[in-house]
Amino acid sequence: MIERIKGALSRCGIALWRINELTEETAELFFVRKQLDTRRIKDVHKYTVTVFRDVEGDKPGRGLTSVQLLPSMEDGQLDEELRGAYYAAQFAANPHYDLPDPVQAPPVEKAGELARAPLAESAGKMARALFAPDVHEDAFINSAELFISRSAHRILSSAGTDVSYADARVSGEFVVQCTQPEDVEMYHSFRYDQLEEQALSAKAEEALTFVRDRARAQRVLKSGTYDLVLSGNQVSAVLSYYVERSAASMVYARYSTWQRGETVQGETAGEGVELTLRATAPYSAEGIPMADLPLLHGGRLLAYHGPNRFCRYLEVQPTGSYEKMSCANGSLPFAQLKQGPCLWAVDFSDFQMDAMSGHFGGEIRLAYLIEDGKVTPVTGGSVNGSILEAQKDLAFSTERYLTARYDGPYALRLRGVSVAGQ
Amino acid sequence: MFPSIDRAKPGLQKLIRALRERYPYASVLAVADDSRSWFIRRSGTDIATSGHGGGTGFVLRVFDGVGCAEYSFNEFSEERIPHLLAVMEERLAEQNAALAGFAPLPTPLPADQPAALKKETAWKIHPRELGDEAIVARLRALREKALAYDERVLDAQASASYRCYRKLFLSEHRDLDQTVMWTTAAMMVMAARGEEIKMAYQPFSVLGGAEVLDQVDSGVEGVARRALELLDSQPIPPGEYECVCDPSTTGMIVHEAFGHGVEMDMFVKNRAQAREFIGQYVASPLVTMHDGSAVPEAATMFFDDEGTLTGDTVIIDQGVLKRGMCDALSAARLGTAPTGNGRRESYERKVYTRMTNTYFQGGSSTPEELIASMKDGFLLEQPSSGMEDPKNWGIQCMVTTAREIRDGKLTGKLYSPIVLTGYVPDLLKSVTMMSAAPELSGSGYCGKGYKEWVKVSDGGPYMKARIRLG
Repeated sequence: MIERIKGALSRCGIALWRINELTEETAELFFVRKQLDTRRIKDVHKYTVTVFRDVEGDKPGRGLTSVQLLPSMEDGQLDEELRGAYYAAQFAANPHYDLPDPVQAPPVEKAGELARAPLAESAGKMARALFAPDVHEDAFINSAELFISRSAHRILSSAGTDVSYADARVSGEFVVQCTQPEDVEMYHSFRYDQLEEQALSAKAEEALTFVRDRARAQRVLKSGTYDLVLSGNQVSAVLSYYVERSAASMVYARYSTWQRGETVQGETAGEGVELTLRATAPYSAEGIPMADLPLLHGGRLLAYHGPNRFCRYLEVQPTGSYEKMSCANGSLPFAQLKQGPCLWAVDFSDFQMDAMSGHFGGEIRLAYLIEDGKVTPVTGGSVNGSILEAQKDLAFSTERYLTARYDGPYALRLRGVSVAGQ
Repeated sequence: MFPSIDRAKPGLQKLIRALRERYPYASVLAVADDSRSWFIRRSGTDIATSGHGGGTGFVLRVFDGVGCAEYSFNEFSEERIPHLLAVMEERLAEQNAALAGFAPLPTPLPADQPAALKKETAWKIHPRELGDEAIVARLRALREKALAYDERVLDAQASASYRCYRKLFLSEHRDLDQTVMWTTAAMMVMAARGEEIKMAYQPFSVLGGAEVLDQVDSGVEGVARRALELLDSQPIPPGEYECVCDPSTTGMIVHEAFGHGVEMDMFVKNRAQAREFIGQYVASPLVTMHDGSAVPEAATMFFDDEGTLTGDTVIIDQGVLKRGMCDALSAARLGTAPTGNGRRESYERKVYTRMTNTYFQGGSSTPEELIASMKDGFLLEQPSSGMEDPKNWGIQCMVTTAREIRDGKLTGKLYSPIVLTGYVPDLLKSVTMMSAAPELSGSGYCGKGYKEWVKVSDGGPYMKARIRLG
């Protein structure tokens, strides 16, 4: 198929192009309680061809569009699709930029059992790990979805890039329920790049503990300003503000005014943010070799990041797009970090961090109100904070939290955050 | 259109016959997809051919001795039928062996009543015929108009998208064929207050084609004005207030706060409080709620992704919860009829019960009468996000703007951003006035939890209710 596409590109007179070949197979399981709802399997093979077109004029430009091609298409269809994309590309011309430097390298294989074992076997193991802690009467897993995927990626370009790599992932979600004294549920998701059976069991166990607490949580939260402790996925959501604001696309568009070397966290009485972007694949979709990228040190911006075009515009080395960040340890053990008075918000219906406005918040599903040595599970109410204010005094835990997209402190304390109570 | 579907059909019919020799139920959904998006913004001009379009491919559904199983793939020819049969059989056997000890969820075979149709929706201007050059030029002019509105405008983004798809559903007794096109456009204007960027947004949508662009021009100045107004906004003092919801905010409440709670796959999982409230008052008698394809909007279709014909489902009738909406598998498990709400993000994904066009019916007042009736309160505008909570009927919605109302008049004072919380039936029972004409918008996508994005529309009239804001 690759040769057929190259032939079609040649017939259409398209000199600049990239081909992304993806082969993906999955095993997917869906459960209601511990009963099998649906089993799914998937085999797809996709070729995404990006064509570039240069436009002459006072300001030379380069445009691109992409098109997806299938092996079942006849040669005439391939030509038609590519000609249409090439025609459209001239109307998407932006200031000229160089394409990624060519890379040729041997295929990168993925190590570990997940990459080798039959998908069905891995799915069975992870399903058993998920349900292992589900042995209680009062709190249980209501429903779950589990996806095991294995993929092969190949990237070729007219500039000479020819690289490939294999990947394998486990992802999914589950809902835990506790029926007494109040019937409540909580949602959890997971994503691993290895068969992390123990981690999944531990996550399910913790989820069952939290949902029990939510069932007895009281709607007693009063409106006011609280020291807010966030944990788990909400910490990475808050930190995503720094990742988004340092994106080359945001800086180029002047949505972000951040400059490298600048202390973007501002004056702080708390801890300086230490962030690194982590490479989770050997190459970006554009064929750019990916490497870990230190982003913030002590709240000071070290780098911009992003796809080729915007990095070229900012005259920095293209980094590719990242999916994972890591944050350095904090200085306080979690037990000390959540010493009262404070509100430890464990779970939200949908926690949002808006990198444009700096606002974060959401409706509280479960929080612990900690004051005068007393811990009260509470539910209801909403957080409405601004990182522009809160970043002046941040404190991170020494305990770590690990997912496929985050590796960093488990908890974060922000001072003086507005909470709307009952 | 989409001749690949016509070419594949005889082979797919042969595949169904072969599957039926092995399994008591078999169906296939074939999807051919054509989509494109155009974006004009400060960072540049982009034309994209992927997104939430779905893609071109096939999904088989069978029932074996365990229950429902599906196989998604994107390469098909008659010659591949033996290969597809073998893959299905071998991998299901592997999966069943690896899951020894897990019992199946009892599921009766879906009904497969005879049905045949071939229909397509109408459009005035196909975006492909209008062409990339003309569409980019239209959007560029709209963006420049917004930028020229005021020097404080940081950026303006003009965008448009369309999806035209053909779906063929075949089973032993059903032969359904539909071609549908929707097109959307949007204008977003941004203004900066230091590091904080405020945004105003106006979406447009049609069940149709590029004629939607005609609607955008009249909305540009209003979006720019709202973005600049937000520069003077302040956080709202938390509390419960009398509010007037604009049609888009009403739509978000319809969809997020209530609609997800009556998706009946949640009944199967015992995850929806609504199951206990069928036949009871859950809202003011002013509230009547519909879902379905009786209105021409972005989620209108003739049959769903399980081959169930669509229609108009009355969910709430004058305050009383009548029924939920339902996919075919959930309907079989619950012993009820499916409502044409079995939808997939794409041929690569599972079916869930999903909303389509969901809205509150209009009342008898005017928007001005709603505002004039209030002593102290807020006009809520421009929803930004929302999340469902079917189990507890908690509200989690965010809107961009709350405009202050005093003594029946807008004072010009703005609060932003606004979080709506509370208990859904409390809010719906507090509804005291509705304007006459519902307005729907289908610019967005709906997720099931945090994934499974499908095109939906929602809306309603201006609605007066008591809401907790923070």
